[in-house]
Amino acid sequence: MTAAKPGSNHQRTIFICQGTGCVSGKSFDITAALSRAAKEQGLAGVNVDFTGCHGFCEQGPVAIVEPDGIFYSQVTVADVPEIVQSHLRDGKPVERLFYKDPVTGEAIPHHRDIKFYSKQQRIILRNIGRINPERVDDYIAMGGYESLKKVLKEMTPGQVIAEIKRSGLRGRGGAGFPTGTKWEFCHNAAGDQKYMVCNADEGDPGAFMDRSTMEGDPHTVLEGMTIAAYAIGATEGYIYIRAEYPLAVKRVRLALQQSEEKGFLGDNILGSGFSLRIHVKEGAGAFVCGEETALLASIEGKRGMPRSRPPFPANSGLWGKPTTINNVKSLATVPVIIARGADWYAATGTEKSKGTCVFALTGKIANSGLIEVPMGIKLREIIYEIGGGIPGNKKFKAVQTGGPSGGCLPESYLDQSVDYESLAAAGSMMGSGGMVVMDEETCMVDVARFFLSFTQAESCGKCVPCRVGTKQMLDILERICRGEGKPEDMDILQELGQNVKVGSLCGLGQTAPNPVLTTLRYFRHEYEAHINEKRCPALSCTSLTSYFILPDKCQGCGICLRNCPVGCIAGDKRMVHIIDQEKCIKCGTCLDVCPERFNAVLKVSGETIEVPAAPVPVTAGKPAAAAASQKE
Amino acid sequence: MEAITITLNGVEVSGYAGMTILDLARESGVYIPTLCHDPNLASTGACRLCLVEDEPSGALHASCVAPIAPGMVINTHSPRVVAHRKAILKLMLASHPDSCLVCDKGNRCQLRQLASDMGIGLVEFQRIPQPGVIEEVNPFIQRDLSKCIMCGKCIRADQEMVVVGAIDYIHRGSAVRPTTLNDVPLEKSECTFCGTCVAICPTGAIMEKEKAYTGTATSTVDTVCPYCGCGCNLNLGVRDGLVVRVRPSAPSPVNRGTLCVRGSYGYDFIHSPERLRRPLVRVDGELQETTWEDALQQAAAGLQKVVEKSGPESLAVFGSPRCTNEENYLLQRLARCVLGTNSVDNGSRLYSAASRIGLGATIGYAGTTGFLEVLERSRVIMVIGANPEVSAPLVDYTVKQAVRFKGARLCVIDPCRTRLTGFASLWLRPRIGTDIALLNGLARIIIDEKKLDVEFVTRRTDNYAPWARSLQKYTPDYVEKVTGVPGQDIRAAARLFADAEEASIVYGNGITLHADGTSAVIALANLAMLTGNIGRNGGIFALQRECNAHGACDMGTLPNFLPGYQLVDDARARQKFEEKWGCRMPEGAGLNALEMLAPGSRVRGMFITGENPAVSFPQPARVKEALASLDCLVVADMFLTETARLAAVVLPSASFAEKEGTFTSFEGRVQRLRRAIPPVGESLPDGGIIQRLAEALGVPMPYTSYQQITDEIEEIVPFYQHTAFKNAGDGELELTDIEKGLFGTRRLHKGLFPSGFGRFTPVEQLTPTDVAKDGYPLTLLAGTVLFQFGTGSRSRRTSRLGRFRSEAFLEIGGADAKSYRIKDGDAVVITSEKGRLDTTARISDALPPGVLFMPISFPESPVYELFATSLNHQARAPALKSCAVKLERTTANG
Repeated sequence: MTAAKPGSNHQRTIFICQGTGCVSGKSFDITAALSRAAKEQGLAGVNVDFTGCHGFCEQGPVAIVEPDGIFYSQVTVADVPEIVQSHLRDGKPVERLFYKDPVTGEAIPHHRDIKFYSKQQRIILRNIGRINPERVDDYIAMGGYESLKKVLKEMTPGQVIAEIKRSGLRGRGGAGFPTGTKWEFCHNAAGDQKYMVCNADEGDPGAFMDRSTMEGDPHTVLEGMTIAAYAIGATEGYIYIRAEYPLAVKRVRLALQQSEEKGFLGDNILGSGFSLRIHVKEGAGAFVCGEETALLASIEGKRGMPRSRPPFPANSGLWGKPTTINNVKSLATVPVIIARGADWYAATGTEKSKGTCVFALTGKIANSGLIEVPMGIKLREIIYEIGGGIPGNKKFKAVQTGGPSGGCLPESYLDQSVDYESLAAAGSMMGSGGMVVMDEETCMVDVARFFLSFTQAESCGKCVPCRVGTKQMLDILERICRGEGKPEDMDILQELGQNVKVGSLCGLGQTAPNPVLTTLRYFRHEYEAHINEKRCPALSCTSLTSYFILPDKCQGCGICLRNCPVGCIAGDKRMVHIIDQEKCIKCGTCLDVCPERFNAVLKVSGETIEVPAAPVPVTAGKPAAAAASQKE
Repeated sequence: MEAITITLNGVEVSGYAGMTILDLARESGVYIPTLCHDPNLASTGACRLCLVEDEPSGALHASCVAPIAPGMVINTHSPRVVAHRKAILKLMLASHPDSCLVCDKGNRCQLRQLASDMGIGLVEFQRIPQPGVIEEVNPFIQRDLSKCIMCGKCIRADQEMVVVGAIDYIHRGSAVRPTTLNDVPLEKSECTFCGTCVAICPTGAIMEKEKAYTGTATSTVDTVCPYCGCGCNLNLGVRDGLVVRVRPSAPSPVNRGTLCVRGSYGYDFIHSPERLRRPLVRVDGELQETTWEDALQQAAAGLQKVVEKSGPESLAVFGSPRCTNEENYLLQRLARCVLGTNSVDNGSRLYSAASRIGLGATIGYAGTTGFLEVLERSRVIMVIGANPEVSAPLVDYTVKQAVRFKGARLCVIDPCRTRLTGFASLWLRPRIGTDIALLNGLARIIIDEKKLDVEFVTRRTDNYAPWARSLQKYTPDYVEKVTGVPGQDIRAAARLFADAEEASIVYGNGITLHADGTSAVIALANLAMLTGNIGRNGGIFALQRECNAHGACDMGTLPNFLPGYQLVDDARARQKFEEKWGCRMPEGAGLNALEMLAPGSRVRGMFITGENPAVSFPQPARVKEALASLDCLVVADMFLTETARLAAVVLPSASFAEKEGTFTSFEGRVQRLRRAIPPVGESLPDGGIIQRLAEALGVPMPYTSYQQITDEIEEIVPFYQHTAFKNAGDGELELTDIEKGLFGTRRLHKGLFPSGFGRFTPVEQLTPTDVAKDGYPLTLLAGTVLFQFGTGSRSRRTSRLGRFRSEAFLEIGGADAKSYRIKDGDAVVITSEKGRLDTTARISDALPPGVLFMPISFPESPVYELFATSLNHQARAPALKSCAVKLERTTANG
């Protein structure tokens, strides 16, 4: 951090977020505009810089002015002159750009006071948002590469492995296998050549923690990887990044180059005699390539299809050689454990799940974004304190953790501890850290169908349970959502789900039924309503819902008729309008456009409202109606 | 190795590390159902039917991929396992059509069998229809993917067994299916239509197409393929006396589940309407049907008249490498003892004489020195003058497997690009006819760089020093000048070959058919001996064009050799046979096949079985004249070939499917043919014809069964003492029996060569005579194509091979085409000193400049009209690989 000197009143640095979210909100343009404006204003003491993702993408583009600690949200290019003149030149922060608490509406100027951040504990994401990810010196200034130096100068591979084992670090890719033990297996495996692979094929919809880490702090991943390679004895490494992450690919490539220039990678690293070359391999868009054996096949240039284990990659991985595969977050944690010690790390978390975990919090939640919290935190704390609760005064219904293969947990689990074991016991999983919050308007059968449609489409198709079993389940769910469910469907789903879970070859199939099985377990009544009453309690499944215009409320204004895209509404001025249920496509436009003061359109499921067969005159004599007609 | 003990269904059983649960279960007699497993394929655990339960962990393992581990308590049929297995099978059935009633796979469908075994009736799951039949125009393979259960066997067979890579998975999720690159029809892909996927598909998803006869086979017979010399084991399916299908024999250690397009689809000729059903005799210049008695009597009388008029030495017999060992043995006995002539030869003269003489002179053994397993485990393989994809597909598969899966390095020496060059780490393109210079050059580098196997050379060979001196002039610079191969590539090839722990050489007609082919074979043998890659390590693999080329020569259907290569000139050897057969034999070597039909030949009468010299010999028009001018020509054949049309008597022969006997493959395996159907019409196996002819000639042979002939061969022919035939009985051949049957190999592996020491023999590069020269600026290569065989007498009468890519053509390189202003499909005329031919040009990127290629399999375009009858000196065989030609375009406005 060359510019931001905390405590200096003369120099200010404004950090613009240049994570993918904010970039899509034009943060490149904002950065350029700020630089230009600062130059025009002749503000010599002002620096314009950028960082990786702050995690609060919903409020993006975001910017922080240091050393003041002022946090601006939803910045646009148009705001630039005001920020420069008022804040950077005159020292007067721009209040209208402050973050506003979604519940209280209170403006919060300082980053540290925002609840979204204040409840977090950032280890993996420690540097992100605080350094420029394209400058290795920023990373070094934060203590970067000190751990690598320590490892290479003071520790044997065995000691590194022992330290990681003692820290209790478990794989952050989802399965939670102890990282140190994994390294030990590979370290002990016989082989003239070993490989270190970083799994950055983050494929869960809505998950972006690996991307943010690589975009915001790429060197920590490289440092962790180099330490791991040293521990297992690998001299070649691969980072497998999905090609849909161009910015991450660019920053990792840049970091590799800088790291080699600085001597942290390449031949004879820091004079230790240890050498490592790391290659970037871009994935081709298959979700299943996140599975380690499929990932290895993909690096080898084959179709990304999982294979049966054993042999495990530790013994026979890339090109048949001993290979360790770690997730981005696991590797990003390693330098911290080495720097601060296993005991320090193990002090956070639960007995079996140490440290912190990162979630991509999304769905029906006030503050959505990337968060890092200690293991063992309660779901309620995440949702209501960090996440700010459910917007729009809606009622919480469920939270789904662990990506598309995770389970949906009901309200009764809100005080559940977030760790590997507890989530698995509840039928869900840690996964790679997706967390989707659902409110009362979410139909759980539809949610199960949605997630299964994703895993089904992404199945590699190799084994029967995953390829055909999930397809069968999906067909049944689609039928139920269409109102064509049969009573025996629930039992078939339950059984098939078990078949797919235990019979599938890889983790994709083994977890794909989770959303179905957990919704069957916790929200069985919703299935029953769909099947037995042909009713969607959340009014979400299109086939099971209908729109009616209430004859006693309709004022015959004709706005619904004019907006109906399929022309299925009959009526005339001052006549009660009627929806032709046969023709209606249930788009909901009539409900949206019906003036709030009339509130004449009703969405229902499983019931029918009595309406006249043809338009009739609007019921006269009602004061509301009279008022309305006068206005017209 | 430490044994691992597990409990399997309550019984303790032991296996070795790395063994799968399924392996151990099968070994222990425990049945576990599978659909995606095949012993010839790497297991993938895709179908999940082989799930078993490990009691201590409660985990379900796919037993085909799960290795056994100490302490496992495996239950293969617990209620939980059975329930899961049924559910999986039901899932497959739900996405499989109910068209079993009209599916040709019928009861052979493994999916249906398993459903029935497990008692699965109607499935409660929803039907998930898959896309159906793919429209394709090829006549071999039909894909109906609605029946595909995605076991992936076809993909693995394509990639692992035949290493073609025509098909792979496409898409994801439930849309996944096997298909070609870019989803094009098979005929537009790399597919070679070998039929391996058809044989391995457990359901009706991949089926044989456009079969001449339909219906389920009611019996099956294992026999040997009648096409090339690989000796693949076939399983013929028979129904109502018709061969309705061909599959690779299931447990064959030879072809291990593979075949090629000819083996899989080339059997239709058996029931061709053109098959001769009755004997024919010439009456007033026309061939007319007659009885066997009449035909034999006329044949005997005709031959006897020749003897009376011109003496027995004016008779000649020309036999076929398509006939069995027993038939060849009878044929040469007929010639020597009944007709009294040593002028007996067989069709392999045309293409493998150079091998016989070249290898005989150096290593003292006239054929391939090892099994294909040796080739497969070789670290370096040199393929020279051979395109095994076409000439010996099984060897092609083996080479590719060695490269792709065993880490072997391949050096291809060929002026033309073949599919194998894509697998090669080194590809040398010498000028045509300069192989000897190149091979001598390799040897010299190896000697100069002291990479020779001194111990082997010292202890197992002689004549090293004179030979080494003869290499003096073959410096890399000189060799580069002669061959056009860059010196650095020559050095790289020499080092690659010499540094290999075990190296093998594969060669074919590109070596043997050249004018100095014998010398080239000798140069190859010198190289193998120099590096110790023969006998104990590596070997020489001499490809054979015909199924029993090896055996026909072993049986003495040769003018100068008695059975077992005992010299006709050797009085002691002659005496042995005379005593055995109770006859007097003529002395002195007879005429070879070309001499028999050469201008001014003394031959006046001939008996020809299964050969078609009127097409296969150089200068066919002249050969026809010679045949027509004979006083008596008797031909035994399945068809009225160009040769048979000239005969006085034509005797109908039975096909391979209609007879018993043995073939000796190019590897030296003596394998048994089994009769699948009775002879078509009144036809007879050639052996029977020979015996009846002997009888008609008044000298009957005393054999009443094939077994007697085989016994006699075993008794009297060296190397055939341990043939599998006798021991195998009616069951499958035992591998150990076959190994014993690989005569000579054992001897080569231990101690000395059959002739004592291997002999280094100097050979010189002469100026090639069969390449471009003044007035004829292009070199024409003649060869075979995958979808035809030899001169096409059988393949062209096979409905599907006959129709698929069955037009004659001339291949020309892009640069030459440009300079001659020739476009693809243009009509062209090629002219040599000997003749001219009209054909159609096809532009190819495989040929070097100045080189053309034409297939020999199309009688309407008789390539050999262009060739001179120039004999290879040592081998007395014609040079039929290349000749000098000029080319003109005849299409106007080209």
